[in-house]
Amino acid sequence: MDVDRKRPWLWLCCIAFLLAFPRAGFGQEAAVLAGSVRNDSAGPVAGAQITAKSVTSGPSVQTVTDASGSFSLRLAAGTYDVNVAATGFDSQTKKVSVTANKAPALQFTLTAPPQSRGLPNAPSTSLQEPSLQDLGFSPQQMQSNPQLQARLNRRTEMLKIHQKLGVITLFPMAADLVTGPMAKAKGRNGQLISEPTQANLDLHAALGSTTAALYVSTASFAIFAPKISGVKRRGAIRVHEALAFVHGPGMILTPILGSMAFSQEQAGEKVHGIAAAHGFVAYTTVIAYTASIIAVSWPIHLKFWKKK
Amino acid sequence: MKRRLGEEMTRRVFSVMLLSAVVWFAPSLFAQDSSQWILDQSTLSYHMSHPMHEVDGVSHAAKGKGICQSGSCNFLIAVPVKTFDSGDSNRDLHMMEVVRGADFPMVVVRAQFPESELNQPWIHANLQVQFAGQTAQYANVPFQRTQQGNQVRIQGTVPSTCSDFKITRPSFLTVPIKNEIPVHVDATWRKQ
Repeated sequence: MDVDRKRPWLWLCCIAFLLAFPRAGFGQEAAVLAGSVRNDSAGPVAGAQITAKSVTSGPSVQTVTDASGSFSLRLAAGTYDVNVAATGFDSQTKKVSVTANKAPALQFTLTAPPQSRGLPNAPSTSLQEPSLQDLGFSPQQMQSNPQLQARLNRRTEMLKIHQKLGVITLFPMAADLVTGPMAKAKGRNGQLISEPTQANLDLHAALGSTTAALYVSTASFAIFAPKISGVKRRGAIRVHEALAFVHGPGMILTPILGSMAFSQEQAGEKVHGIAAAHGFVAYTTVIAYTASIIAVSWPIHLKFWKKK
Repeated sequence: MKRRLGEEMTRRVFSVMLLSAVVWFAPSLFAQDSSQWILDQSTLSYHMSHPMHEVDGVSHAAKGKGICQSGSCNFLIAVPVKTFDSGDSNRDLHMMEVVRGADFPMVVVRAQFPESELNQPWIHANLQVQFAGQTAQYANVPFQRTQQGNQVRIQGTVPSTCSDFKITRPSFLTVPIKNEIPVHVDATWRKQ
C-alpha cells in the first residue's frame, strides 16, 4: 500500500531529473582543451594554475602546467572562463567555447605586475596583511625551475658516486705504494744486486692498473656531472679542484714512467733517466689525491692551527 | 539670572554633543590607527650540525613588510633559497638540491603577534614558514626587540627541523646531519 503511494513520486522524480540534466546524462561529449603558458620572454611557465569554469554552471576543472608550460583539460561541451595564475605574474582569463570533440588551442603570455606594485618600499596592496607580490622580487626569482631541479638532482647523484669511488680508489692506490719498493730492482753504484720477483712486479702492475681504472671512473663522474651556471666557486671545493691539476697529470705520468721503468728492468738495466722519477711522481700523486679528499672532508669547525 | 541659566544650558548641551561625538567617532579613529613596516636590513642564518662539520648558511637578501592594524601585526619575510651562503659553493648546491630549492625557490615566513608587543622587549610571534614545498607552524616564538632610533631590531631563533619540511637529511661519510636546523633571524625594521 505504502509502495503504491510512493511510486508516482518516484516516477516524477526520475522524469524531473532527466529533464533537468539531459546533457549531463548522455548528451554531453567531452573535448580536450590544450594550450601553453609562457612568460613575456617566451619562456615556459611551469606550475601555473589553470582553472576552467563553466559560464553556466557546474564545478570548475583545474590543472597545472608541466615543465614545458603545457597543459590539457578534458572538458564537456560548453563555454568556459579559463583562468591562469602563476606566482610573480598577473593572472589572465580567456573565454573559450568547447564543442563536441573540438576545443581551440589556448596560448597565454603572462607578464609581471607593474613594478610600482613590487617595490619593497611601496605601500602594501593589502591593508590586512602584506602579500608576496608586495616585496619586489622578480618573477624569475619566485618562479620554480624544474629543469634546474633535475640538473641539481643529477649532479648530486653523480657526485655521490664520485665520492664513494674516490674513497675506494684510495685502497689500491695505497697498496700500490706499499708494493712499489718490492717491485723495484735493488742496486748500488750502478751494480745490479737483486731482482724483484715477477710476482711482485705483476702485483704492483695489477694494482696500478686497478688504481688507474678506478681513478678514471671517479674523475669522469665529477667531470660529467651537470654544471650549474652562474655559481661562483667558493670554499674547500676550490682546493679540491686545484689539487686535481697535480694528481690528474700524476695519474697519467705514473703508469707511463712505471712502464718505462719496467721495460728497463726487463732489459736487465738499472732504472734510469726520466723513468727513475716513477716513484717520486707516484708519491706526489698519492699525497695530492689524499689532500684533495681531506680538503672537502676536514671538520671545518676543528681548526687544527688554533689551540683549544 | 535667566542669562546665567541659558549659558549653563548651552555649556551642558555643548558638552553632551562633544561627548557624543567622541563616543561616536572613537572606534573609527582607533580603527584607522594602522602602521606599515618595511625590512631595512636582515641576516638570516641556518645552522647545520654534523659530527664532523658545523655549518652556518647566511643570507642578507630577505625582503619584508609588516602591517599592524586592529591590535594585531602581520609581518611577511621572504628570501630566495639560493642566496644562502655557507662559504662553500658545492655545499650550497647540495643544499639547493636537498631542499628542492629550484622547485620551491623562496622561503616565506608569515609572523603574527599582538600589536601591544611592538613596544615590549620581547615579541612572541606565531610563525608560518613555507619552505621546500611544505608549510610548518611555530607558536609563540620569542624574539628580542631593541629600539634603535626610528628602527626596531628583532632577533630570535626559529626552532625548525628537517622533518618539519620533509627534508631528507644529507649525510656525510654515511652519517646524516642532525634533524635540528635552527634559523636565526636578525631583522631591522623601519616604520613607513
